[in-house]
Amino acid sequence: MGSFLEILIFLGLLALGYFAGHYFERKHYKSIRLRESQTLHIPLITVGAKPPWPNAKEAKLFIGGVVISTDYFKTISAGLRNLVGGRVMAYETLLDRGRREALLRMKEQAIEWGATQILNVRLETASIWGAEGKQSVGSVEVIAYGTGIKE
Amino acid sequence: MKYTPKLIPEGINVTPQPPLIDFGYLIVTIVLISALIFFSLGWIAEWLAIKISAATESKIGQILISSTMPALSSSVLLADPRLDYLQENLLPTLAGETQPPLTVHLLDDDMINAAILPGGHILVWTGLLKAVQSENELAFVLAHEVAHFKHRDPLRMLGRSLVMLSLLTVLGTGVNQEMAGLPSLVSQTGELIGLQYSRQQEQAADEEALSNVIQHYGHGGQALDFFKRLAEQEPQRGRELTISRYFSTHPPTIERLAQLAQLAKVRGWTMTGAITPLPRW
Ligand SMILES: [Zn+2]
Repeated sequence: MGSFLEILIFLGLLALGYFAGHYFERKHYKSIRLRESQTLHIPLITVGAKPPWPNAKEAKLFIGGVVISTDYFKTISAGLRNLVGGRVMAYETLLDRGRREALLRMKEQAIEWGATQILNVRLETASIWGAEGKQSVGSVEVIAYGTGIKE
Repeated sequence: MKYTPKLIPEGINVTPQPPLIDFGYLIVTIVLISALIFFSLGWIAEWLAIKISAATESKIGQILISSTMPALSSSVLLADPRLDYLQENLLPTLAGETQPPLTVHLLDDDMINAAILPGGHILVWTGLLKAVQSENELAFVLAHEVAHFKHRDPLRMLGRSLVMLSLLTVLGTGVNQEMAGLPSLVSQTGELIGLQYSRQQEQAADEEALSNVIQHYGHGGQALDFFKRLAEQEPQRGRELTISRYFSTHPPTIERLAQLAQLAKVRGWTMTGAITPLPRW
């Protein structure tokens, strides 16, 4: 009886993870695509100090960070993937959303400030585990930063 | 250099495949591989298990019984005339001298069942003693468990369950901790496929039991009456919980009875004879 309940809880969480995760992911992608097209006019440049700098009147550091959590379905999917190896497709959308959202947050701040370009853009990722270590669902943090300039 | 705004095309960093297809592929692959490992390792484990010496089997039985008994301790009857009768009178006539020796454990519960553990430990529930109406009936049930013991079926099952347990541990630790439900899902399926004696094992035990009882009483009369009564109750197995316990560990009664009747015909066994009553207790 106990293990039957355990299975029921497991399947329930799996369904919750799948449907809720899918819903929020679609919603997030919709917002990402819209905002990407709205902020498309500002160039992002990844080269560092070597090339000649544009004629900047003002420069400022902009940081966009986001933490996105996996859902139960993705965690289980990735856990199963751990056994056989291969592309962890379940986490691909998670990181894709993280990178694009972090870049957008950086861009949006820079545009508000009046930047014409963002130079030296970098991306960093960190994984965050819950307080109980591996017992809880993991999240991923993505930070995008770059130097916004006014020409 | 002029900057031309351009949207990045989708589907480069994210594989354009529905997550459920990936998930389904993973589940099917892992289930197939686990089943393959389970059956091949299980077969090897069985093969090794039946090579165990009587002394080792006795030790394994000791460990098993001392870990099972505390859970049942409230119902274990230590001094009981029924226990003495089973251990001293009925069992020796059916099994003779065995290595390791057979030990009966009488459990005070209305459950109608009997079982055998490795090391020759026979569990008998008092519910069974109340349900049987003659010694012939009881002898057949006991002889069935004794036959399992002689065929070393409990050891085979132990071998298989050890493999199952190791597989689950590997699956459980190989995967994340939060997948607690998955191993029990696997083990529930495992209980259905692996942790029961096979039909062949049950049939072999039935055949040996009947031949044993006929040798002892000179006929097979009454021996199967208990099962005939069970067979009548079989359709209502859902409601009669105490009865249905026996079905959860044994194949359908009607099939077993038909097979035994067929066997008796082929061997020319006498299937009627005088009843041997149970002692008064
Ligand atoms: Zn059996």
